[in-house]
Amino acid sequence: MENKQYDYVENPFNVTRRQFMTIGGLIVALMVLPSLWVRSLVSNRNRYILARTKGLYRDDEKAKIRVSHANRAVAGYYRDFGGKPLGELSEALLHTKYINRTHGLTG
Amino acid sequence: MCSEKMILKHPMSVRIFHYLLIVSFLPLAVTGLILYFKPFSGESMNLTMQIHVLAGVLLTLDAVAFFLIGFERVVLFVKRVFTISVNDVKWFAVLGGYPQKLLLRKKVPVPPMGKYNSGQKLFGICVLIGGTLLVGTGWILWAFPHNTPRETVALMGTLHTVFGILLTIFLPVHLFLGIYMFDDFKAMILHGRIPYDEAREQSPLWVEKEVIPLNK
Repeated sequence: MENKQYDYVENPFNVTRRQFMTIGGLIVALMVLPSLWVRSLVSNRNRYILARTKGLYRDDEKAKIRVSHANRAVAGYYRDFGGKPLGELSEALLHTKYINRTHGLTG
Repeated sequence: MCSEKMILKHPMSVRIFHYLLIVSFLPLAVTGLILYFKPFSGESMNLTMQIHVLAGVLLTLDAVAFFLIGFERVVLFVKRVFTISVNDVKWFAVLGGYPQKLLLRKKVPVPPMGKYNSGQKLFGICVLIGGTLLVGTGWILWAFPHNTPRETVALMGTLHTVFGILLTIFLPVHLFLGIYMFDDFKAMILHGRIPYDEAREQSPLWVEKEVIPLNK
C-alpha cells in the first residue's frame, strides 16, 4: 500500500504536549471569542427591541383610549359624516387598492 | 545525483482537504469577482450567487471536518507558519531567489528553510486568518443578516470583500509557484511523496529536524 512507497515520514512528535495544549488552546479561544462577540451583538439588539416593545405596551396601558372604536374623533366621523363602519361612503373614502410598484425595480 | 528515497510530505488527509479546497475555492474566487463587479444581468447574477453559496458550504464543511478530524495537523501548521526567525528576513531580502532564477537564470544563496519557506508561511497566515474570516462572515451575510445588527452586517461585508480580494490575488501566485515546484505539486495533487534529495535542497531544516526514517 502507501506505506511501501516512501522511506521517511514526519516525526509524529514534532509538537510537544505543552505546545499542543498552548497552540490548540489559542486556536480554540480565537475561534470562540468572535462567536461570543457576535452573539452578544445579536442579544444586545434583541434587548433593544424587547425594551422598545415593553415601552409601547406601557404607553398603551397609560393611554385613555386604547381601541379605535372608542376614539371620540373616529366615532364623530361615523356619526356626522361616514355612516357606519365598512359602509359605502367610508369604503370609498378610507380604503385603498393594491398597486404593484415593483416593475421599475426589477429591470 | 538522485536517490530513490522518498519522504511522505503530504498525508492523505491533507491531500483530501486540499482537493476539496481546490474544488470549492476556485469557483468561490471566480463567482466572488463576478458578484463584486456585477457584469451580468439579474438572472445570471442570481445563478452566480447560488454557485457562490454552494461552494461556500462545501468549503465550510471541508474546513470544519479537517479542523475536527485533523486538529493535530492544524496545530502543527499554526506552529510552523508562526515560527519566524532571522532566516525569514533573509529569505524575503532575496525573495527566495525566485526572481533571480526566473528572470536572470541565476542562482543566489537562500537561507535554509523548514517545511514551508517564508513566502509559504506568509501565504499560510493569510489563508488561515483570511479563510476563517471569509467562512465566518460569509455565513452571517448569507444566513443570518436579519438577526445581526445592521452595522455589524456592513462590517462583515467589508471584511468579506477585503479578504476575498486578498486571497484571490494570492491565488494565481500560489498556482504558478505550486506548479513551478513540480515535485511538490505532484506530491500534493497525486501521491503525497517527495524525493529525499529534492526535500533536502528545498527544506533542509525540515529534513534535518522533523523527518525520520520509516523503519526505525
